Amino acid sequence: MDFDFSDDQQQLRDAVRKWVAKGYDFERRRAIVDAGGFSREAYGELAELGLCGLYIPDDQGGLGMGPVEAMVVMEELGRGIVLEPLAQTLIAGAVLDGYAPQALKTAWLSPIASGEKLVVLAQQERKARYRLDMCEAKATQAATGWTLDASKSMVPAGDQADAFIVPASVNGKIALFLVERSAAGVATRGYGTQDGGRAAELTLSNAPASLVTPEGLTALEHAVDIGIAAACAEAVGVMDKTLDVTVEYLNTRKQFGVVISSFQALRHRVADMKMQLELARSMSYYASLKLNAPADERRRALARAKYQLGCSMRFVGQQAVQLHGGIGVTDEYIVSHYFKKLTQLEMTFGDSLHHLGEVSSRMQDTAGVFA
Amino acid sequence: MDLAFTPEEQTFREEVRAWVRENLPSEISHKVHNALRLSRDDLQRWAKILGRRGWLGHAWPKEFGGPGWSAVQKHLFEEECALAGAPRVIPFGPVMVAPVIMAFGNAEQQKRFLPGIASGDVWWSQGYSEPGSGSDLASVKTRAERQGDKYIVNGQKTWTTLGQYGEWIFCLVRTSTEGKPQTGISFLLIDMKSPGVTVRPIKLLDGECEVNEVWFDNVEVPAENLIGEENKGWTYAKHLLSHERTNIADVNRAKRELERLKRIARAEGVYDDTRFRDEIAKLEVDVVALEMLVLRVLSAEKSGKNPLDIAGLLKIRGSEIQQRYSELMMLAAGPYALPLIFEAMEAGWQGDHVGAAHCAPLASTYFNMRKTTIYGGSNEVQRNIVAQTVLG
Repeated sequence: MDFDFSDDQQQLRDAVRKWVAKGYDFERRRAIVDAGGFSREAYGELAELGLCGLYIPDDQGGLGMGPVEAMVVMEELGRGIVLEPLAQTLIAGAVLDGYAPQALKTAWLSPIASGEKLVVLAQQERKARYRLDMCEAKATQAATGWTLDASKSMVPAGDQADAFIVPASVNGKIALFLVERSAAGVATRGYGTQDGGRAAELTLSNAPASLVTPEGLTALEHAVDIGIAAACAEAVGVMDKTLDVTVEYLNTRKQFGVVISSFQALRHRVADMKMQLELARSMSYYASLKLNAPADERRRALARAKYQLGCSMRFVGQQAVQLHGGIGVTDEYIVSHYFKKLTQLEMTFGDSLHHLGEVSSRMQDTAGVFA
Repeated sequence: MDLAFTPEEQTFREEVRAWVRENLPSEISHKVHNALRLSRDDLQRWAKILGRRGWLGHAWPKEFGGPGWSAVQKHLFEEECALAGAPRVIPFGPVMVAPVIMAFGNAEQQKRFLPGIASGDVWWSQGYSEPGSGSDLASVKTRAERQGDKYIVNGQKTWTTLGQYGEWIFCLVRTSTEGKPQTGISFLLIDMKSPGVTVRPIKLLDGECEVNEVWFDNVEVPAENLIGEENKGWTYAKHLLSHERTNIADVNRAKRELERLKRIARAEGVYDDTRFRDEIAKLEVDVVALEMLVLRVLSAEKSGKNPLDIAGLLKIRGSEIQQRYSELMMLAAGPYALPLIFEAMEAGWQGDHVGAAHCAPLASTYFNMRKTTIYGGSNEVQRNIVAQTVLG
């Protein structure tokens, strides 16, 4: 039982933090939002740091690292509310490495690690909400290979990605496929999202696809849990910064002739925000440390974590805006952007009520970190 | 980073578990698991069993006869005791006054007082709060005037937990009114059998007398009972407070009580009611998050880092959770929580409980638990402290 970071993990954190501070300031981010919410150039810089190959083995050009390193990286990207969807790259790397046949691994892992190819998960369908077992997409096998017919929604950076990991049903059972955006029968329609990022509607009409795994639901649940752990870590980074700027503001802003941090009503709110942040950080650790547990245990743990993080995100985000007063609701000042990022993260891979339901249906007689 | 305990720590846990299973009397654990009334004899019987094994002062260093355990070992010991249904160790002797005697008492005082604390033979009480000194503890007024080789003590302490059983009491007394309030306080050990000491139980909202007023009327206390130096008592008291760190969160007991809540909810037919079950699910996440917070503090202590900026959160969160599980248990019982039958809270009572027997103590426990956000520095005071660490 040990929650210290190793020297290597600390160095990784420092490297990402440095890039965020120097290479991804608020002005650059604003320019990326205005240009549509995704920058291939910025994504390339993440790849240069090696981050796109974090989960990919060394012999495929990756770093061969694990969930704790992923957590460290996502926390730091959260501190910079970075728009480029590295969490998606982490998912793609882990899913292909863990489930795909050798030929697909050979073809895709190395270009993903180098940043040359961006691969994202396209699991959302319009009627499914957060359910993973609801899938209207259909896969058909012909002599020449698989083809897919599907409408997927809210695909992260969908009109910028090079390929998609797509769940589709084969005789009523979900399998995972890889589909290239440049293939015939693939259409995307991109739009901005509430956090300043980018997503797309994806339509596949008789589009050629490669089978990743016939055990699609197992792999999809694993993929989503990797995404949940990443979202939790990212949220911790966002909340860290949100509390920092709020504290700075309270210690600067004067009303009634004194700094407003002298008012006990506001001080207690800050104490409550600190509480939510530290509960969230604790559960983010828990999420990442349970990511390699057996599926049942992993799913229960990740649902618990996302519920806590969702509640914390909403509280910290709302209170940060409230404590800033009028400036908190402007677009010009950064805190509203943190707030919107937290809101989007709460609703990514299942919101709080959804995960409360998951925790509730998975309850056992005993409970605890080790049960 | 690793969630698992080391193999050595696991082995330690197994050893403690086996010992507790062997030595904790079942009639006591039955009462704990069902929130039935524990007598003075129950509490002292368990204290003496621990004392004989050398584990009553389980946080004591080896030089004073303690086991010299690490922070993690202490946590594992407390967890095994809590889950097995052991009563809480009454902390005033082994957890509170003993570390002060070790750190600031002289050799004579250590020899005189520590053995009785370690064995569980002597019942200690705490004399801190006064009618006019709650959160503002430094304002204590109980006077101790030096007359030759003794102090004459006059004044009143209050909220003295289980003081009706107390044989000795450690007190913060005012020995000077010069300077800041903190600088005129001394730490005095007082024999409660001394002439002039009067203990009057205070009936609380649950009908029980868990706390007392303690009056001092010209009580003569030998000067050799002064710990350390005169007027330095505040420093010693702060040292004492630093000894209730992770166990103040009481997360191990919360895990046990969460299990009990599920049992009660199932028996009362509300466990499968989505609205009720979701409230339990929320509490389950709260308990896991608190446990992670505790483990983070333990890990920081283990690697010698300063865990202070999150340790302050433990009391707030732990006490809120204690209140919440007692509240949900009462709500699970519904109308059957309402009969107030004192005998129904005794083990083995054969009368009509009205509802199921497990419902009888639930409202009383709920009422009793309101204390947790008030004592040990109210949660509002705790928020001031947390805000201070964040805002400066």
